[in-house]
Amino acid sequence: MREKPVIRFERFVLDNGLRVIAAHDPAAPVVAVNLWYNVGSRNEREGRTGFAHLFEHMMFQGSQHVPENAHFALIEKVGGSLNGSTWLDRTNYFETLPSHHLELGLWLESDRLGWLLPAMTQEKLDNQRDVVKNERRWRVDNQPYGDWDEQIQEMMYPPDHPYHHSVIGSMADLDAATLEDVEAFFRTYYTPNNAVLTVAGDFDPAALPALVDRYFGEIPPGPPIPPLPGRTQLDPLLGEEIRRVVEQDVALPRVYTAYRIPPYGDSAFHAAAVAAHMLGEGKGSLLYRRLIRTGLAQDVVAYAFPIVVGAAILVTWTTAMPGVDVNVLETALLDAIGELRTASDADVTRAVRMLEASRLRDLQRLDERADTLSMFTMLFDEPDRINTEIERIRAVTTKDIRSFAERYFGENNRGVLQYLPRPS
Amino acid sequence: MSTFDRAVAPAPAPIREFRFPRINRRTLDNGMTVLHAAHGSAPIVTILFIADAGAVREGNTRAGLAELTANLLETGTADRDAQQIAVELETLGAQLETTVGWDAASLSLTVPTEHAPTALAVLADIVLRPAFITSEFERLRQEQVGQIIRRRQDPRLLASDVAGRFFYTPASPYARPLIGTEQTVRSLGQHDVEAFYHERYGPRTAALLLVGDVDDALLDAVNVAFGAWTAAAKPGHDVETGPAADRRIVHIVDRPGSVQSELRIGHVGLARHSPDYFPVTVMNAILGGLFTSRLNLNLREKHGFTYGARSAFAFRRYPGPFLIQAAVANDVTARAVEETLREVHALRDHGATEDEVTAARDFITGIQPLELQTTEQLAARLAEIVTFGLPDDYFDHFRRGINDVTPDDVRRVARQHIHPDRLAVVVVGCATDVEKPLRDLDIGPVEIHRIND
Repeated sequence: MREKPVIRFERFVLDNGLRVIAAHDPAAPVVAVNLWYNVGSRNEREGRTGFAHLFEHMMFQGSQHVPENAHFALIEKVGGSLNGSTWLDRTNYFETLPSHHLELGLWLESDRLGWLLPAMTQEKLDNQRDVVKNERRWRVDNQPYGDWDEQIQEMMYPPDHPYHHSVIGSMADLDAATLEDVEAFFRTYYTPNNAVLTVAGDFDPAALPALVDRYFGEIPPGPPIPPLPGRTQLDPLLGEEIRRVVEQDVALPRVYTAYRIPPYGDSAFHAAAVAAHMLGEGKGSLLYRRLIRTGLAQDVVAYAFPIVVGAAILVTWTTAMPGVDVNVLETALLDAIGELRTASDADVTRAVRMLEASRLRDLQRLDERADTLSMFTMLFDEPDRINTEIERIRAVTTKDIRSFAERYFGENNRGVLQYLPRPS
Repeated sequence: MSTFDRAVAPAPAPIREFRFPRINRRTLDNGMTVLHAAHGSAPIVTILFIADAGAVREGNTRAGLAELTANLLETGTADRDAQQIAVELETLGAQLETTVGWDAASLSLTVPTEHAPTALAVLADIVLRPAFITSEFERLRQEQVGQIIRRRQDPRLLASDVAGRFFYTPASPYARPLIGTEQTVRSLGQHDVEAFYHERYGPRTAALLLVGDVDDALLDAVNVAFGAWTAAAKPGHDVETGPAADRRIVHIVDRPGSVQSELRIGHVGLARHSPDYFPVTVMNAILGGLFTSRLNLNLREKHGFTYGARSAFAFRRYPGPFLIQAAVANDVTARAVEETLREVHALRDHGATEDEVTAARDFITGIQPLELQTTEQLAARLAEIVTFGLPDDYFDHFRRGINDVTPDDVRRVARQHIHPDRLAVVVVGCATDVEKPLRDLDIGPVEIHRIND
């Protein structure tokens, strides 16, 4: 057995509160820069759903010292790649660069954290509002089953919980967003003390702290971050079965199930991650065996959302083969999930081995390494989870899976969402 | 704290040289090619089997056969059934991926080094000794029909599937979807699959690629696994790739209720072997290959018509399409088409600036090491060498090929390979909303199609 690779890193904190992780690996002349801001759709106030994501778009529109369109142009012309993304708990920004251009990444990221507002205009906001509305059409409104996450979040979280609404938000709320909202959101959440910066790959480790301080050090800290809106506490179980049927322009019925599970970071979440792999990952999985090999379905998915506020959810879905009745499919899906109560050692081992191997594959990429380090630092103040999390996954036993399934995969803790073709 | 001028972008540090990994070649006694390359420090190996069994080889009446054949391989051998194969590989930490393209079919997996020889043996069993079990054949054929039905309902996939029919003559395989049509797939029999397998899968028309933590034990295992394979696959024939029309036509594929139009605008493009591969690659980056390309800056950042616009030349063994794509709101569909044509004309008539050409070249050469971070990424480059018969040192010279491209080259290839008056303008969207404005543009005849036409 070969030695398992360990990701090594240093950590330090600037005077303004910016947490920094430096993971040196000079194997290739490549470096990844990654910033997590502790703000996502969960922080949005009523009437402003979708705003955290719209704001993410505004971060690419230039800042005081970076002209409009220059952010993308400067990185592309040195052969770098870049993007940002918004989710329930966080917003991240990242670029991967040929390593001799590391400073370019630090300069661009620090300028929009320190000097965004002087470059903000109504015209830029209106343009990106149109872009984001087209993103919503593309992802949700013009896509079969495209609103599934909106439906599931509404079903699984009460109206006053921060996860009740989706990341993309509503068209009406996007229309309502103003420049004043941009300014207030920036001043509240885009502060060094609400961010983690990770640099991974090829750089001079001795010089990095001074380099980061040069670009980020003079940005003043912001005020304390306000608490999340609404009610964040949830009962561990849903207490009922919640059902929805949606008729849409889809060709084939699809069934989703969602179960309330402990939040990411809870020690029980590792069993959820293994259970999701047992259910839906690979052609040896339970759902593939029971639904696809039997000719009932043409796809299966199972995913445990790694989210931290109150409770997470484990979601599965499957799409019917032509001619298969939606209720037959639903029964088969629920029965297959129920089989976890009598899970076998072999099925648990298969899932754990797949998780181990996919970690090795994923961490080859510096952007993935940097994003994982930022995440564990932001969520748990424990970057070393990048190395230790897999040990906790390996420690999950068949007995753990059985009792997890017994507790969480019951009728009183699930949402069931059916999509049916609209009658013509 | 040092003071410095924030208004000036920082200068780069001294560049660290990047070399493309060394590629090693050997040929087994039965004629099968083996390429291998070391990569990174992760204790894993990517194993990729690739055969000249892509969709261009299947014949137009049997569209979808290449896909069905490749997918059937892992559903049973003399010694293992489908479930055993999946569980055995996945318990090793390997997940088998079957990919069928126009030019090739491949089966690949990435596995921890210690299990690589075992995974290789299972892969060889799948490729060399498929059992072609009738119940599995019928299940997979039905699954493929189900996918075709779903693709019709999804505007993005529908647009990509139908575009070829408006770009290429009906005699061309590129005129129809790679996955086949409901009619052709339903008509496939198990004998078609078995015949295609015997015609197309053999050691002389296949290769095995190994990337990552490759050791001698694994290389020895290759000989054991594939050395005795004696199947005699047939050589392939060239295929038709002529255009569908010799003038510009607007094709509206009506999808009532659509809130966006999926645009696919293009025509027949170039083969991978085109001597203009490098200048066309640079030219396309400027037109629509980058975020800061002309099309995306215009349609997205200036007008807000779309979430994103891009263009590409699909360099295949035979001339693949030149294709511009974007999803745009209904009420701006005609204006988006107009702006797209404006950009195409501008590049063709005036070429690109020195700065644009430099930026595009530097992007394409600079991003090379970023796109070789994983064993899978390097294996894909090796597959390109095998599929297109490129020399083993091709990527060592790739940067020079790009760096030699001048603004004059870009102007020349734009004029030579982009034909605005022959573009097929395919719009998958709500005809009620978009037909009149598209007619008013007066850029060519407008034809309306129904989805099932």
